[in-house]
Amino acid sequence: MNSESRGGKGPELTSFPEGPGFRVVGRSLPRVDGTAKVTGGARFAADCKLPGMLFARVLRSTVPHAVLRRLDAAGALSLPGVAAVFTAADIPGNNAVGIIVKDEPVLVETGGRIRRIGDPLALVVGESEAVLEAALAKIKVEYEELPPVFSPLEAMREGAPQIHEKGNVQSVTRIKKGDVEAALAQAKFVVTHRYTTQMVEHAYLETEAGVAAVENGLLVIWVSTQNPHYDRREVARVLNLGQHRVRIVQAPTGGGFGGKLDISVQCLLGLAAWKTGRPVKMCYRREESMIASTKRHPFVIDYTSACDGEGRLLAVKVRIVGDTGAYASYGPPTLKRAAVHATGPYEVPNVFIESFCVYTNNPPAGAMRGFGVPQIAFAHESQMDLLAEAVGCDPFTIRLRNCYRTGSVTATGQRLTASVGIEETILRARARAQELGIWRGEP
Amino acid sequence: MKPFRFKAIINDRPVELLIPPNRRLLDLLREDLDLTGVKEGCGEGECGACTVLLDGRPVNSCLVLAPEASGRKITTIEGLASAGRLHPLQEAFLEAGAVQCGYCTPGMILAAKALLEENPDPDEQTVKTAISGNLCRCTGYVKIVRAVRLAAVKMAGKGGGR
Amino acid sequence: MEGGTMKKRGVGVGCMWYGIGNTGVPNPAGAFVDFLDDGTVLVLTGCADIGQGSSTVLAQIAAEELGVNMEDVLVVAGDTGVSPDAGATSASRQTYISGNAVRLAAQQAKQVLLEEAAEVLGAPAGELETASGFVWRNGERTSLALEEVLSRCRAKGKLSLGGGSFNPAATQLDADGQGVPYATYSFATQVVEVEVDVETGKVSVLRIVAAHDVGRAINPAAVEGQIEGGCVMGLGYALLEEVRVKEGKIENPALSVYLVPMSLDVPEIHTIIVEEEEPSGPFGAKGVGEPALIPTAAAVANAVADALGVRFYELPITLEKVVEAVHGS
Repeated sequence: MNSESRGGKGPELTSFPEGPGFRVVGRSLPRVDGTAKVTGGARFAADCKLPGMLFARVLRSTVPHAVLRRLDAAGALSLPGVAAVFTAADIPGNNAVGIIVKDEPVLVETGGRIRRIGDPLALVVGESEAVLEAALAKIKVEYEELPPVFSPLEAMREGAPQIHEKGNVQSVTRIKKGDVEAALAQAKFVVTHRYTTQMVEHAYLETEAGVAAVENGLLVIWVSTQNPHYDRREVARVLNLGQHRVRIVQAPTGGGFGGKLDISVQCLLGLAAWKTGRPVKMCYRREESMIASTKRHPFVIDYTSACDGEGRLLAVKVRIVGDTGAYASYGPPTLKRAAVHATGPYEVPNVFIESFCVYTNNPPAGAMRGFGVPQIAFAHESQMDLLAEAVGCDPFTIRLRNCYRTGSVTATGQRLTASVGIEETILRARARAQELGIWRGEP
Repeated sequence: MKPFRFKAIINDRPVELLIPPNRRLLDLLREDLDLTGVKEGCGEGECGACTVLLDGRPVNSCLVLAPEASGRKITTIEGLASAGRLHPLQEAFLEAGAVQCGYCTPGMILAAKALLEENPDPDEQTVKTAISGNLCRCTGYVKIVRAVRLAAVKMAGKGGGR
Repeated sequence: MEGGTMKKRGVGVGCMWYGIGNTGVPNPAGAFVDFLDDGTVLVLTGCADIGQGSSTVLAQIAAEELGVNMEDVLVVAGDTGVSPDAGATSASRQTYISGNAVRLAAQQAKQVLLEEAAEVLGAPAGELETASGFVWRNGERTSLALEEVLSRCRAKGKLSLGGGSFNPAATQLDADGQGVPYATYSFATQVVEVEVDVETGKVSVLRIVAAHDVGRAINPAAVEGQIEGGCVMGLGYALLEEVRVKEGKIENPALSVYLVPMSLDVPEIHTIIVEEEEPSGPFGAKGVGEPALIPTAAAVANAVADALGVRFYELPITLEKVVEAVHGS
């Protein structure tokens, strides 16, 4: 880190100028919660303790696709220190959650479907953390295994095992502009490749955690979350309570990156506290966090782009298949966003884009920082370099030749009228790269 | 299991209590003493969120059994500020913008404290090496490294700091 | 050839655009502002600060609008018992959307004071502003102290409260994918320099230049922090990270086997903040949280292709894949 050549300075602590005009905005002021975080005073959910508090842990499926035939918790209940074991039968309201589609059970019902390894089957509640592990081991589960499907391309085929009632293709987005086939036929250079990207973990340093308590008829849940008001809707519906009787308090949250947008501990904690009348705490261990939480979608992207002899983009044709795993989570908007952004920040006259969000029996993928755009950027930026090579120009030149400017029209027909900074970022990045000796090409 | 009589100086105060001999130092600090600035991130010594100083040296408290720490001097993040004044490292983390979610911050600051006590003027690579056992998923470490070097300057200005 | 081993350098470029807010659906945020008796301010927002610094940015927006110091603002965030819905902390939307909601709420709270001040000063409220503890008229300080205006309001039974909500101007996409999915976009270009050891396959990222158009940067250090963190997460995506799944089972569910970047993996990062102001943003702001990471893996892949003359169409670009590609070619 060469601090002299870096963009900004550290936070400014000087006094403000008097009077109106920008005094606070545009200044690198220190974080409002900074002192609490450097002194250890910030109380994350796992740091909360309430008198009489119970602890909870989830029993999860070990098979990827099955019907849950029988669940016998008698052995667990007979252990001293076990306060309760809850199953789907204990849920007073609607046993289904999901930000876009309510396709995920809070606890799988007996006779109900298991769609992935890690599906929650039962919740053990005990007087100490120590008793939970033994209790989980004493619960007997019988599965009737079903044929699974792990490849989204296979899942799209006729006759593939069906994971949800409405079929394996959860959503489709299509974007059409101009005439792609005609443009491809006339283009001087056409480049086609398949790009594949991997499943990625958010790996926030703080795992999912929360504490719930019932106070004077009000259910209060302190929880690590990215969306407390969504949590309130889901908890209220699952417990069949008015939304006004559920209070979600976002605890200081140790990172999220999209992975704490889904329901994790919220509904189960609410259920346990509501049923037992006692405060209940649940913190995922790292392994459980990695097994239970959503991931970044793996994509298969078939990308064709075409340009004229000067490198002007004429057409882009893209097909994207995203593996959303067992549940939709944020899959549909991730694939929609990927489609919308598939051209990259470039004006293309002829576009045909299709994206598919597909269920499999893999771990569910959801929102992760970038929502499908890092995947598609890998493809469109590789393509731009391949076209530049074909044309014989450098990577900055081809991007400058095609990038959006004020007045450009996107693939969805949107005219960009203001704040279109892509050209400026290319020019300034290139200038800095030249100053630093990273880029030695033409100015 | 026979309880173990744990005695130590924690954040400059003598502490004595009976514990199960298999208690992790992490749990003793967090659960028995409510020193919740010590964070658990992985439970296997990979992330460094649970870093504390044992006789001045950084350890992952999730990997240390409490009896091993008995009779020794333990410092947690709660022991750094004195009389309401932040330690120069804490000030530097705020000023350099080295804190985002804050979950790695206590462990990071303690790892840095151990470094600065050994090497009051570390270069960038030395700082990176010293905090290489502490993961941060938010900041990209850039401002953390800068904060540690800023703290070194502050401490040199104050005759070596505390 | 450097130091006896075969190391090749390469440079790659990655560009991106990113729509701020949810795609083609309503995604409003609300906020309340209470200008308290002593001139300090309470902001109530549903916006969850997950470390990115939204509470700080929202405090800055309220302080700027009301003309008070940051330390006189308390943001109470993410408590459904007291704060209105601000939607998800996702889609890089909170600075733009909750920022606007807070600004609108602050304007409403301020209006109560300005109307009272207008009466005292015999001036149109439109010419007045609050700043530094006083009422200002056309940029000149008047002798009317803010505290006096507040106490006059209270004496008349007027509270200085404001509520605001903001929903970005987006439309649903039709069957051909046509429409306005986002009200505004952020843009970025990153240039990455790598060194590839062709013996071991190790790709070292040496330097990154990251130029990001974020609209007005409300807090430049926080923007830089997002960009630096995004670049490093992007390096992990490009080179290291993969959840290995076999028959539906995650084979590496631990940080000892799922490797994320550590301090020693971090290159020199040169951030450039480009401020193309967004007219509909709070003080011209857009967003940066996700854009920070988006172009990195693309730029790394292009840099590796430049270094080796071999292109990878599959992420992550691991040591094994590099060795295989080099020795297979």
